Amino acid sequence: MKCFSRYLPYIFRPPNTILSSSCHTEADIISTVEFNHTGELLATGDKGGRVVIFQREQESKNQVHRRGEYNVYSTFQSHEPEFDYLKSLEIEEKINKIRWLPQQNAAYFLLSTNDKTVKLWKVSERDKRPEGYNLKDEEGRLRDPATITTLRVPVLRPMDLMVEATPRRVFANAHTYHINSISVNSDYETYMSADDLRINLWNFEITNQSFNIVDIKPANMEELTEVITAAEFHPHHCNTFVYSSSKGTIRLCDMRASALCDRHTKFFEEPEDPSNRSFFSEIISSISDVKFSHSGRYIMTRDYLTVKVWDLNMENRPIETYQVHDYLRSKLCSLYENDCIFDKFECVWNGSDSVIMTGSYNNFFRMFDRNTKRDVTLEASRENSKPRAILKPRKVCVGGKRRKDEISVDSLDFSKKILHTAWHPSENIIAVAATNNLYIFQDKVN
Amino acid sequence: MSSWVQKGSSGRLLGRAYDLTALRELARLPQSTNRYLFRAAQSPCIPYRRVAMEVQKEAQRIMTLSVWKMYHSRMQRGGLRLHRSLQLSLIMRSARELYLSAKVEALDLEAPSPPARCPDPRLHPPREVEVPAACVPPDGEQPLPEPMDTQEEEEAPPRAAETETLVRCSPRPARVCRKRRSSSLSDGVDAGLVPSKKARLEEQEEAKDSSSEVPDCLPPPPAQAEGAFPNLARVLQRSFSGLLSRGPAASPTAPPARDAKPACRPADPMLSVLVRAVVAF
Repeated sequence: MKCFSRYLPYIFRPPNTILSSSCHTEADIISTVEFNHTGELLATGDKGGRVVIFQREQESKNQVHRRGEYNVYSTFQSHEPEFDYLKSLEIEEKINKIRWLPQQNAAYFLLSTNDKTVKLWKVSERDKRPEGYNLKDEEGRLRDPATITTLRVPVLRPMDLMVEATPRRVFANAHTYHINSISVNSDYETYMSADDLRINLWNFEITNQSFNIVDIKPANMEELTEVITAAEFHPHHCNTFVYSSSKGTIRLCDMRASALCDRHTKFFEEPEDPSNRSFFSEIISSISDVKFSHSGRYIMTRDYLTVKVWDLNMENRPIETYQVHDYLRSKLCSLYENDCIFDKFECVWNGSDSVIMTGSYNNFFRMFDRNTKRDVTLEASRENSKPRAILKPRKVCVGGKRRKDEISVDSLDFSKKILHTAWHPSENIIAVAATNNLYIFQDKVN
Repeated sequence: MSSWVQKGSSGRLLGRAYDLTALRELARLPQSTNRYLFRAAQSPCIPYRRVAMEVQKEAQRIMTLSVWKMYHSRMQRGGLRLHRSLQLSLIMRSARELYLSAKVEALDLEAPSPPARCPDPRLHPPREVEVPAACVPPDGEQPLPEPMDTQEEEEAPPRAAETETLVRCSPRPARVCRKRRSSSLSDGVDAGLVPSKKARLEEQEEAKDSSSEVPDCLPPPPAQAEGAFPNLARVLQRSFSGLLSRGPAASPTAPPARDAKPACRPADPMLSVLVRAVVAF
């Protein structure tokens, strides 16, 4: 895979963090990462409800080697902890997902959500300031009218660039269960939010109403067997969306068929391999993430041990299956004991849909080239990555004699997990969130 | 095949190790359960019943762990997560099935089974010879950890009756569950023991119903076992693969932690007790 032979690692940390990565506060743990549609901006959300947006530096002829570095652009508190008095439940401020809207004017818009509330944020720049008011002085205090002797027209003067984020819409009180996904429709007028049992369709302009398009809540909750784990709109067809379930199935729905899309148009399920049947089969088959390819032809799903690529035209099995960390299959009981078996990994496509990437433990992340069928395991760590150094492929030794650079399965650090990654829409730049650190890697040879 | 030996708790050698991979393939059990199988299978003299007991213990451990996780998840910020609760309940159900299956297997071996079911009458004479030789782990044949098993040894209900017990208990759990509620509140983390007590309650009632059967069911010799390893493998494969191949449709649906009112499930007295333990928190 020649495009991944060299990487330039850049290490970013969220602002206001003075602790080192070895002792971080839980609020700094990054919970979502997302590039915008041009790749110029990169947004991260954390457990403390903050959103940090990075912007790519403009290319300059003077400093060629600094091309494409991402710097902090804006930081704001998106969600605060809330309390549901009716149920006596605290609502976490952790940002579950961020999705960008396509840019239509000078401002940037993004959706951010916690467990219950979705917010539309406008991020805009201000580089001019009006000066010369008649009734107010420079500090904003009202002037004594008796002292005003002349009349002047206020003028706009340049000022230091200020980036401000304002909440334009708040979409609240529509979900009984915890929101796990949001997805912007290709019509750019609607979006959907999915919780464990329901999916709602919103219009950006209307905050006090939403349409329920999927409802899998059984009449008797004792009969509940599966929940919705992720949902996404088709990138081009505004009537089509998919949602994945905890049973390892994916349903594709067409909103033209009926108002309530409880009956799927397509049902993707792979029959279980009986040789892999084990005590924990049911819970490791739960899909943690589903993503459409940029072309709209394929969907990719991530369950605990594998990544699968499905063709929308074939429902009975995936066209490709990639083992992410199959060496964990024999350790499922231990992973259940330390709760790691419940980790929800995400997966991403590259811009051309030829490579897929997902995270693993020990700060490893894996890339699979769909064309050459080659894969690589890389590590995001401070110790192994100096600036401008090249990432070395890593290997996990599954048994027998351990070679020099290999790491044995028992030495893996399960507290260091990479759940969230993002890939630039057109270039080979990736963002990898490792607990509270954000790593941005770039392909040196473009 | 590895060839190390391990000392038992009594300080005596337990024999040669067997291929762990092969055992794991047969049992398809979680790793820690395999450890018990591994130790148990080290000596062909250790009866299969010991293996079943170990599996029961492991299943109980997993059930207890799951209940603790369920309890702990309620204390988390953000409240109960439906997906997590569903997954925990799936594990609890699997552990319960494993536990019940292992218990049934253990009972099956104790009960004087008809010749068609008895593996090999030729085993009887060798067994008598082996028993003194196999006093190697004397505690292996001792009274079992759970009081329920002691109860079973005394009454030794046949397998069919065991199934009937589970079915006939249907009118009872409603009453019993209400009684259990207060105990489950205080003994949340010990919920693993609650099913044992519940089962003993069933056995007591069963004994009352069929007191005439007691004299007929003599406690079988505890050293009744499969002597050869292939037989052990067959029994393991038969019991556990059959259990695992049973789809979710055949068994009651998993009880999720939910926001609805708790309700007893008459077909699953043990599971209902677990559910009560979960909901009570």
